[in-house]
Amino acid sequence: MATTDESTGSWFGADGQVSQVRGLLFKLSCLGATLLALGLVLVFLLYVFNDAVQPLTADTGWLLTFVVTLVLPAVAVGVYYYTRDTRAGEVAYTALGLPVATTLLAGGVVITFEHIVSPHAWFALALSATVAFGLVELHARTRTAGALERLAVVVLVPLLALVGVPGIAVDFPVETPLLGQELFRLSFAIPELVPSLREVILALPVLPTAAISLLLTFTLPIAAAAAWHVRRVRESDRDGAIAGGATIVAAGLGLVAAPLVDLSATTWVVLATVVALPVGLYVESVVRRDVGVSGLAFPVVVAAGALIGAFLVDALGFAGPDLWLDWDFLTSPASTTPRDAGIYPALVGSVMMLVVVAVAAFPVGVGAAVYLEEYAPNDGLLGSIVDLIEINIANLAGVPSVVYGVLGLTLFVRTAGMQSGIVMVGGLTIGLLILPIVIVSAQEAIRGVPDSLRQASYGMGATKWQTVRNVVLPRALPGIMTGTILAFGRAIGETAPLLMIGAAAVVRIPPDTFFSLFSAMPRQIFAWSKEIETEFRYGVLAAGVVTLLIVMLMMNASAILVRNKYQRQN
Amino acid sequence: MGNESFDADLTRSAHGQIAKERLYHWLLFFCAALTVFVTVSIVVTLAVDAVAFFRQVDALSFFTGTEWESSRGTFGVLPLVTATLVVTAVSAIVAIPIGTAAAVYLSEYASDRMRSVLKPALEILAGIPTVVYGYLALVYLTPWLRKGGLDLSMFNLLSASIMVGIMIIPMVSSISEDAMSAVPDSLREAGYGLGATKFEVSTGVVIPAAVSGIFSSYILALSRAIGETMIVVMAGGMQARMLDLTNPFANLFNSGQTMTAAMVHAVTSDATGGTPEFYSMFAIGLTLFFVTFSMNLLSNRIAARYREEYQ
Repeated sequence: MATTDESTGSWFGADGQVSQVRGLLFKLSCLGATLLALGLVLVFLLYVFNDAVQPLTADTGWLLTFVVTLVLPAVAVGVYYYTRDTRAGEVAYTALGLPVATTLLAGGVVITFEHIVSPHAWFALALSATVAFGLVELHARTRTAGALERLAVVVLVPLLALVGVPGIAVDFPVETPLLGQELFRLSFAIPELVPSLREVILALPVLPTAAISLLLTFTLPIAAAAAWHVRRVRESDRDGAIAGGATIVAAGLGLVAAPLVDLSATTWVVLATVVALPVGLYVESVVRRDVGVSGLAFPVVVAAGALIGAFLVDALGFAGPDLWLDWDFLTSPASTTPRDAGIYPALVGSVMMLVVVAVAAFPVGVGAAVYLEEYAPNDGLLGSIVDLIEINIANLAGVPSVVYGVLGLTLFVRTAGMQSGIVMVGGLTIGLLILPIVIVSAQEAIRGVPDSLRQASYGMGATKWQTVRNVVLPRALPGIMTGTILAFGRAIGETAPLLMIGAAAVVRIPPDTFFSLFSAMPRQIFAWSKEIETEFRYGVLAAGVVTLLIVMLMMNASAILVRNKYQRQN
Repeated sequence: MGNESFDADLTRSAHGQIAKERLYHWLLFFCAALTVFVTVSIVVTLAVDAVAFFRQVDALSFFTGTEWESSRGTFGVLPLVTATLVVTAVSAIVAIPIGTAAAVYLSEYASDRMRSVLKPALEILAGIPTVVYGYLALVYLTPWLRKGGLDLSMFNLLSASIMVGIMIIPMVSSISEDAMSAVPDSLREAGYGLGATKFEVSTGVVIPAAVSGIFSSYILALSRAIGETMIVVMAGGMQARMLDLTNPFANLFNSGQTMTAAMVHAVTSDATGGTPEFYSMFAIGLTLFFVTFSMNLLSNRIAARYREEYQ
């Protein structure tokens, strides 16, 4: 630093000799701190992974085979991308990540159709919802006048289609106030008058098989959405039709081909819809844009390496590692003997809880964000209330999760009278917990929508709500999705609130309704951490932690994928 | 939007349209107001049952008592508070230097490519569930520290608080880094123009200019450490122990119960509704809520009040 010392008036550093040692040390210590922060956790996680998979218990030949067939080619291709072709590296990253992430999602969907809503129930639900929507739409087209009539149709038709006129059973003691003496008992029951369309469909003597039901009511809408998306992006009816048609054909093929590869037809349909469709769209878009096409080779190299390796070790008779985290672990219930213990009921519990969280927190969170960004006035009484709400949201995000647990316990169990430890209570409690996170991230996404778009919409005579629905929300959706997925990642790992609301430590049967007792993955891990046996500590627990981390990392990675794609578009 | 529905919108009565707009407006307002309802219901639910607790237990002995033995009906909150303070202090010693240095590196030294790798990695660390950190502390860190020659009991506050510190590093580093990145480049260039080295610009210009953001990151991280539950429950044990000033290391090497751990204990033990043991949870929860809520408020105020405004 060239400056004068005030006391002596002499120059320092004027001869061009500036010491770099101090600066270099500072830089290195800062770098060291960053790497320490990452490295500490990484080392721990390596140990966990090692305990869960125990790679060293495998034969040397097994390890060598996989190093040669899988690791070396993958590393070689990775180095090539890193040094020669960065765009292909990005493509490779997505092309490998997308199938893995969507397969995980497909697992969640399969669990949903297995435990939460059976394919037939879904078929009936979707069909009657479609009929109801069609009737409402038809009425709106044919009779435009008459607001009251329209309201009645909008309320009654969906009600009849989905719920019917339910029977009423009343059993209510009428008591004198204060004394609590029973005057008389109001008790009557009306049998169900009109069954809903949904129930009528379910009661039909002939229903399509589970796979065909899914094909019609799960694949078809998604294929239609994909076709609509492709048509809009590519501005070509033909391409849209091809995308939609190919999806349906790929899924429909399962009705014939699934038994050949030892899959159930429903699993095939779900896989084709959830995995093959997005992967196909991505591959097609990469090939069409012709940027980094060689990146697509990466997943092929990995998959081929794994298959060849598996074939070789089988043929040569090498024994694999002594896995704790294996298929049995994922599909068996908890047990007191470490070797039999599994995480399946907790996995199902986590998925069901996440469904409740999503349904509870997403609409409210996005609604609040829309209000705060689009509707909220800046001044007046309402303006100061809005300021208060904003400060309050920022602070709610920092309230300890255990306090939310107490809130859930009091609000839903002790006040609303729900049973403690059921999926609904857990989901609602965690929903409250992530609500501020969802709101803040949705607000940021909405703030990112340029004002010119809103002005253009108003200029065309759109009302505020029409602008929000047709302009702001579609544009902000990727940002909202990113924040929401991250919040769901947080939700799936929360433990303390589950302890407070009394989620069960061990559940042997997966919950089958939203009002059954459940355990979630983190709750199960906590329960196992109390076991003192080494096999539990270093085996079962490690496997459970790796499962939880993989689910969470996948969610975070998909959020980052959405964000990167979105940033590049802007 | 198809042509048909566009026609329909034009011909539909204006009254219906206005009513619809108003409906959506209020619907969205209620979504936003729900967050206030959450805060209010936290305070109310905690306060109502805390009052029930103080009806059974003397408030003075609660706040000044040095013994917490909930199963025997002794409720002195000081052991819990001191254990919480110990955990917070040790985690701050771990997290603040590492987090700040990492923030300086990311904001001042890292190349774009380096940053694009390190930042998401730190974000992912921030997303790891705390039950996992608790497991790491219990199953790996404690045995390692024991092997390193420390005389630890199986549940101890030392490894719990080190792990809490590791957990809050990403929080310190990411908020501090945001504050440092917000310092305009013109200030740095002015520093270089005066002949300062990179080190002098970082420590003499950027850090002082970003100090409000850095401090608010510390407060947020510490409030997170105070409210952290799973790590201290799993690795810190359930034995409430009063801070022993004559033997400071014994506090760390033995088990201890923080406020959050006591709340979990009150629910997971066999205490049923109505007993003081059950209600004690709400008194602690209320204390915890006010401490963390006011720390978050303070952090926001510092960040807002001392924020340097740059054009």
